[in-house]
Amino acid sequence: MATEIKLPRLGQGMESGTIVKWLKSEGDAVEKGEPLYELDTDKVTQEVEADASGVLLKIAVGEGNEAEVGKTIAVIGEAGEKVEAKKLEEKAEESKAAKVEEDEQEEGSPGAAREAERERGREPAHITEVTEIRPAAHADGRVKASPLARRIARERGLDLAQIRGTGPEGRVVAEDVERAATGAPAAPAAAPVAAEVEVKPLSSIQKTVARRMTEAWQIPVFQLFVSADMTRALEIRRRLVELSADSGVKPTISDLLTKVCAAALMGQRELNALWTEAGIELHPNANVGLAVALPEGLIVPVIRQCERLSVAEIATARADLVERARAGKLRREDLEGGTFTISNLGMFGVERFTAVLNPPQVAILAVGAVQEKPVARDGEIVVRTMMDLMLTCDHRAVNGAAGAGFLQAVQSILEEPGLAL
Amino acid sequence: MPELSYREAVRDALSRAMREDDDVFILGEDIAEMGGSMGVTQGMLDEFGPERVRNTPISEMALAGAAIGAAIQGMRPVAEIMYEDFLTLATEQIVNQSAKHRYMSGGQMTVPVTFRTQGGSGWSPGAQHAQQLEAWFVHIPGLKVIFASTPTDVRGLLWSAIYDDNPVVFFEHRTLYGIKEDVPEELEPIPIGQARVHREGEDVTVIATGRLVHESLAAAKEAEEQGVSVEVIDPRTLQPLDEQALIASVKKTNRCVVAHEAVTRMGFGAEVAAVIQYGAFDWLDAPVERVGAKFTPLPFAPVMEEWCVPHAADVLAAIQRTVQRNGD
Repeated sequence: MATEIKLPRLGQGMESGTIVKWLKSEGDAVEKGEPLYELDTDKVTQEVEADASGVLLKIAVGEGNEAEVGKTIAVIGEAGEKVEAKKLEEKAEESKAAKVEEDEQEEGSPGAAREAERERGREPAHITEVTEIRPAAHADGRVKASPLARRIARERGLDLAQIRGTGPEGRVVAEDVERAATGAPAAPAAAPVAAEVEVKPLSSIQKTVARRMTEAWQIPVFQLFVSADMTRALEIRRRLVELSADSGVKPTISDLLTKVCAAALMGQRELNALWTEAGIELHPNANVGLAVALPEGLIVPVIRQCERLSVAEIATARADLVERARAGKLRREDLEGGTFTISNLGMFGVERFTAVLNPPQVAILAVGAVQEKPVARDGEIVVRTMMDLMLTCDHRAVNGAAGAGFLQAVQSILEEPGLAL
Repeated sequence: MPELSYREAVRDALSRAMREDDDVFILGEDIAEMGGSMGVTQGMLDEFGPERVRNTPISEMALAGAAIGAAIQGMRPVAEIMYEDFLTLATEQIVNQSAKHRYMSGGQMTVPVTFRTQGGSGWSPGAQHAQQLEAWFVHIPGLKVIFASTPTDVRGLLWSAIYDDNPVVFFEHRTLYGIKEDVPEELEPIPIGQARVHREGEDVTVIATGRLVHESLAAAKEAEEQGVSVEVIDPRTLQPLDEQALIASVKKTNRCVVAHEAVTRMGFGAEVAAVIQYGAFDWLDAPVERVGAKFTPLPFAPVMEEWCVPHAADVLAAIQRTVQRNGD
């Protein structure tokens, strides 16, 4: 008896996911617990294990396609077992496919009916194959596509390069374009799309960032700004780099700052908090998130219990997270549980900026570049190595004094690292 | 409805035309007492006499020339070239004379001659008696070329060929003479230049001629069992070609296979493929597949001959290639 593999719910609030990659092909033997596919949810891309053993009979949701939680995305069964592909496909299309009046098929010649079907973006009834095996061959930069596929893509304003071909040698054929068209809203045929406009579909991460940033923008916030003298902190960092030369991980200013913030948060618990409808959650541990820019969007992996970690330990944890983030190997738990966020654009030479809140967290620290600046000291202008810090707070949860207290603590520790001892 | 074999259907068209019209007569090698090497004209000598059923010397050039002369003089001769391989010997007359006179005389003379001939593999006649040379004649402006595949078609088209005022090269296939079909009592002329859809389908159009029409129909049946719906079209007239019918079909199915017994290279299918790629370019979802004989003189040995020429399995394989998906 075949087992239908359904899209799992991997966390609260997950409603859908995009299949990034199938790690097995149809016909491959699969062991229960073996990684089966890579799934892109709104938070993270992760490998998902097979929950049955047997032969992967059918892949119902191809790579790059989105599916809702609970939808059948594959079938595992015994070798040779028949899968009713059409049924599967119907299931897959249930939620999306516009209902087509059956009597429309009666109109005109068979050719006209097929043409009409195509215009409506519906698959011809006899084609039941839904598998997508591999991306189109782009070896020479040219997308292989049949003339018919090209025409349909042109009429609907679809970019062939974004469509996976299932024809011989990865050729994009009409069926592939039609399938892609059902996934993305078709451009009206009458309105030609200018060739130079490129539409990049939103990644799950981008969609999530967009939703959450819009949400964050509704929150009343205030910003506080300080400039810290980094002379002592940089000495410490230099020494830490020397000491950690063997470990291969060089502590950065961010690592130092993470440690400093954790210490300051422990002294100012109102900022180590989450805003919820039920109340403000004050958290016992400083789980500090670091904003990381990836090509597919912004993510914030979290280092837990930073108040208990040394700078070297934070550096190791940070290096691991960033490396896995860039490789797309973050797990869902890497992104969950943050209580405070640091966004550092100093490495890009940005002097100072304001960060947008990362709700439900109530505060986020924007870190600028470490630069030599003229400052007044004891009635004289001297040149010091300074770093600007801009704190954004949720004014519903935090008042100005609490924010100022925190920021002052951060500044003090950076200038007098011994205070953190 | 009488049942006629392909052979009888040819004879029926010839006989009816000769009964109704004194201008029609037949000439060829061994067509009188012997009734033709394939038995097509058997009994016609008795009915029409030696004046109208004329045996000729063994000279294709002479008999073709005589037929052309008679045609220019107002007769409607039907010359039989025993094997289409021997068209080579009559090519000067057919290509340089019959095809050119109407044009070169500014339309003052017409050449209403029909050259009937037959050929094809399937019975081990060897390299000099089994070729399929229809494509050569499609290449000549001034000639019409017909290749009929069923009793009904061969009867209706031969009639139209006889009454066409231009020279027609009329191909029959050796292995089709025995196939039988109910044909209408009345002979219905079939217009030259009209394709016939033998079977409607949705996924692939197979454009086939001669024996391969039947092979393609068999392949279509097998494909159907595999879930692929195949349309089979016989152009019947190779020149002029019913391009619109072929293009319309491919626009519907988006895939095309061309199939004939002649060698693939420079075969009639090459022209059809070109017509399709131009006329249905934006509708094609796969390259046009060509099915034909391997590029070799045909061997005597039956198994070797079988191996060289295409059969239903070859058409089926081509159909499958056009609908192929990775992972299938």
